[in-house]
Amino acid sequence: MISTLARIDYAASAGRTPWHAASALSKLALASLLVLLAVFAPSLSLLAALYALAWLLVLSSRLPWRLTLAAAGYPVAFTLLFIIGRWDGTAATPLRLLLRPLTASLAAVWLVGTTPYPDLFAPLSRVLPRSVGDGLFLTYRALFELIGRAERLWRALRLRGGASRPPRRRLTLAGEGFATLVLYSFERSQRLYAAMLLRGHSGRICGCRHYAEWSRADLLVVLAGLAAVAAAAFLWRAP
Amino acid sequence: MSHLHIPDGVLPVAVWLPGLAAGLLLLVWSARLARGASRQQVAYQGALGALVLVAMAVEVPLGPLEYHLTLVGPVGVLLGPAATFQVAFIASAILALVGHGGLTVVGLNALVLGAGGALARPMYLALARRAQPPAAMAGATAVAQAVSGALWLATVMLGLGSGGAAPGAGRLGLFAAVAFPLWLVGIATESAVAWGTARFILRVRPDLLPRGPAATGSGENAGESAA
Repeated sequence: MISTLARIDYAASAGRTPWHAASALSKLALASLLVLLAVFAPSLSLLAALYALAWLLVLSSRLPWRLTLAAAGYPVAFTLLFIIGRWDGTAATPLRLLLRPLTASLAAVWLVGTTPYPDLFAPLSRVLPRSVGDGLFLTYRALFELIGRAERLWRALRLRGGASRPPRRRLTLAGEGFATLVLYSFERSQRLYAAMLLRGHSGRICGCRHYAEWSRADLLVVLAGLAAVAAAAFLWRAP
Repeated sequence: MSHLHIPDGVLPVAVWLPGLAAGLLLLVWSARLARGASRQQVAYQGALGALVLVAMAVEVPLGPLEYHLTLVGPVGVLLGPAATFQVAFIASAILALVGHGGLTVVGLNALVLGAGGALARPMYLALARRAQPPAAMAGATAVAQAVSGALWLATVMLGLGSGGAAPGAGRLGLFAAVAFPLWLVGIATESAVAWGTARFILRVRPDLLPRGPAATGSGENAGESAA
């Protein structure tokens, strides 16, 4: 999961397609529109059209296909539970249950894969309470550092025979490993706070201010949004 | 299993929309409660939020099972109810952005994780009056995990039981029969990990563990005052 996130993060910053050049705000609006339409769409034809549109967005943003499949395919396993639970003998119900989360997750992956996190979190942090907005930035920043430490810790634990102990002892050792990460997190927060003060921290992390800078690339986002609305208008009552 | 995040579009609107509204209301309320928190406390909260995500990514082999931890109990004990709910919301939001869970069900996913986590600190303080911190942490984590897991099961059962083609009692019973042992495994696993976590912190930085009003005189967590 974290490696997927790391590769998506890299794709968002390194990509050079028009989607990457578009503003975060317009992409956020388009992704939200796609998710809401997918969740509320009663018609299978509309869901198929939205799913196709989401794939078009992802493929044209040149995200690595393996990465896209890994991220966007995650809901399949969970959705299978609902497909089995709600099986009514028709193909329409399972298809509807499958296409909704798949379309929504593809839209989310497209959004995150084309928008660097400071641009993406900046508008969100403006509507969220201050501590939550700041927490979003700080959590994301700490994530990659902590996963690196956790991987080294786990490797060391395995090399020293920690994985061959009985389950109860193994879990306690894992707990002690996590405790070292808690202590590291505490010390890291002290250093981070000192660095923030030195840099003249004003009391709020606002992220960059480029999230609403419009460019010609935003026209493409508007076009994609219009295509989604048109599909909804024509196919809402279709079977 | 409480962090097997529910994706968009599988739950009926009547389930996820109130969940989203309740999640956002609780988020605003928790932010008001945590208004006095120092900037360093917010940075600590962010780092522990990242730790929750790391724990969710790590696979703990348990025989034929690969268990993914949540650490919601230990984080709940270390941060307290308000900050833990914020951590749960942020973790759910970041996961939803990479397709693990849904954007419309962020509130519900946060409620499932956050409800358990929010109970952990009060439970820990109650247990720590009579037991050593590792045992209190394990007990508080067991309660947190039990609540989160039960809420997750209830949400899924509600989702399965609603809609046009609701399953019969047989299928729901089969689901419960599979899910219940996994719920118990989750409680036992998280508690054992929490016990190890508290034991290590107690040895190295006991001031990070919360202390009751009688111990501190002010009711404040030593970790929070240090932060």
